[in-house]
Amino acid sequence: MNKTVNINLAGIFFHIDEDAYLKLQRYLEAIKRSFTDSQGRSEIIADIEARIAELFNERVENDKQVIRIKEVDEVISIMGQPEDYLVDDEIFEDEPKTSYKAKSSPSRKLFRDTDNSYIGGVSSGLAHYFGIDTIWVRLAWILLIFGAGTGILLYILLWVLVPEAKTTAEKIMMTGEPVNISNIEKKIRDGFDSVTDVAKNVGDSVGAAAKNVSDSVSNAAKNVDLKKPANSIKSSSKTFFDTLGDVIMFFFKVFAKFIGVLLMIIGASTLIALIIALFSIGVADIIHIPGLDMVDIVNAGNTPVWLVSLLTFFAVGIPFFFLFYLGLKILINNLKSIGNIAKFTLLGVWLISIIGLVVVGVRQASEHAYDESVIEKNELNIKANDTLSVKMMTNDLFETSGFRNDDSFRISRNENGEKTIYSSDIRIIVRSTSDSIGKLVIDKNADGRSYEAAIERAKNINYNYVISDNEILLDSYLNTDPKNKFSDQEVVAFLYLPEGTIVNFSNNTRSYLHYRRYNNTIVTSKDVNQYLKILDEDIECLDCPIEEEFEVDVDIKHEDGSLKINDKGLEVKIDSSSLRIDKNGINGSSENLNLKVSEEGVTIKSEDN
Amino acid sequence: MKIENTKAQMRKGVLEFCILSVLKDNDAYVAEILDTLKDAKLLVVEGTIYPLLTRLKNAGLLNYRWEESTSGPPRKYYGLTETGKLFLKELNTTWSELHNAVTIVTSQKTSK
Repeated sequence: MNKTVNINLAGIFFHIDEDAYLKLQRYLEAIKRSFTDSQGRSEIIADIEARIAELFNERVENDKQVIRIKEVDEVISIMGQPEDYLVDDEIFEDEPKTSYKAKSSPSRKLFRDTDNSYIGGVSSGLAHYFGIDTIWVRLAWILLIFGAGTGILLYILLWVLVPEAKTTAEKIMMTGEPVNISNIEKKIRDGFDSVTDVAKNVGDSVGAAAKNVSDSVSNAAKNVDLKKPANSIKSSSKTFFDTLGDVIMFFFKVFAKFIGVLLMIIGASTLIALIIALFSIGVADIIHIPGLDMVDIVNAGNTPVWLVSLLTFFAVGIPFFFLFYLGLKILINNLKSIGNIAKFTLLGVWLISIIGLVVVGVRQASEHAYDESVIEKNELNIKANDTLSVKMMTNDLFETSGFRNDDSFRISRNENGEKTIYSSDIRIIVRSTSDSIGKLVIDKNADGRSYEAAIERAKNINYNYVISDNEILLDSYLNTDPKNKFSDQEVVAFLYLPEGTIVNFSNNTRSYLHYRRYNNTIVTSKDVNQYLKILDEDIECLDCPIEEEFEVDVDIKHEDGSLKINDKGLEVKIDSSSLRIDKNGINGSSENLNLKVSEEGVTIKSEDN
Repeated sequence: MKIENTKAQMRKGVLEFCILSVLKDNDAYVAEILDTLKDAKLLVVEGTIYPLLTRLKNAGLLNYRWEESTSGPPRKYYGLTETGKLFLKELNTTWSELHNAVTIVTSQKTSK
């Protein structure tokens, strides 16, 4: 007695024995697998089914007759084994290359082998992929775990991203064997054997009841049909341990997903530590870590620091993430995709960040669009022959150290304990004037987005100086309120002195003066600590040491001659010839020639003449 | 190297040519084509022909029409297209050249 199944094959109705049905089904499945979609798989299968229906039809004499395994075998022998369907692509080169690869040189694919797993089947999957024993892979993991725990991260990453080998075809692909009916059958048979083993083990431990099961299994295994006993065994040997295993696996999967989310954050951040550093600036700003005031002061555009950090994070981080993802994708060819939505969202965020950064940059730059200054004029009650001394004043509150420093600015608290920006961008320019009295012009300069803003900022520069009868004290720093930001504030002190006055710059003004005569200054860094008389666009040093005298003393003597150069003159002697130049004139003589140039005139004497 | 593989490759190589030749004069459905080829002992199993037919059809060398059958499912009647006829002509020439060449080469070998 046999159970039958009703099937519809190419629109024709057939009764078929269950075992014959399973055989036919497997046969069609195997054929289906030997084609790709590009070859017109569905059409080929339809044609084949139609032909099989025709062949069955020839073998069925009336409606009541059932198709048995004998008919199926006949038909299969007529149609040929699945391998016979393969078209040899070396002959037909117009075939797409991919199908060629998939069939005749099956490449291994990376799957997780959950049949031989301790945790997620990653190790055994990798072992299949590289064709080595699983134990080596596992040892490598252990080593990697000791290597700063990178192994754990990598394992979890692979666990999440590498798909599990679920179907028989995938399991065969994992080991790199070609997917054909023979292999699939072999695999399924292997599956039985292991299930039979399990059933036997259970039988040993549980007793006679299970032994019946294993008996039925071995009986069933003797049959040609493979699938039916598999089902029966699976249902009967579903033991407590399997259930426990399922529960554990379920938790592992949930755990893996949870870890996966964490990992995306951790993995990306560890890979791109630079980005995290940027990001932490933003965080520091939100929780107000001191020292970030500096950033805030430079940030003339008033854009929040966290926003800039975030924009930078995305602008730099997203390409890095894609790079990281790409790397993984190259490493694992059947990596799960992150999905188009995610990809385009990231791309969008990236573009927005770039635009945002450009806007911030333009804003920042526009803060320096106008460079305006405010001028304060002071008359100096100083006349010719008066002596004026110029000194710098330092302030203990500000660490200016008495030296000028371009573009340096610091934040400190003033006498009232308020925060203030200070800078030592002070410049002293000295010029002569033909007026009878001198002037001190203080030029405060600042940048701003508009003319008004620049003027306002220039006005807000605090710069102090003291003028007394014969002394000018200038601050060595300027300061301003932090709300004015750092916008290139600078102070230039123009000192116009009448000709004939004498001025003395203290040593500490050295760095505030130009090094050379730049911008029409007549006093440079070299002229400090000296009494200088102002001339028309020039100075005369009154107490400079007189230049030292010419002091050369050369006295070389040789067997045949000598050379002497000293304050008296120059004298060269070679054999009987000599040349002497001194205050008396030029005197040259040789064996029979004598030349003399002096106040008295030129005399040339020769023995011949 | 298996002798079966070489044989199969030889057969497969001329199979397309033979299918087109069968359809040269009149349309036929798969079973008819198969019968001709099987009688000529060119085909051992039927399976091989289906991918070939689909490929030839997709290449525009063949077209087909459906015809009802008194026994069994409707049949696909294949016929040559204009391109298919030209293609067949070309193959005919190639085949006679090849046949000549092979005859010359093999007869030389045996006479040695």
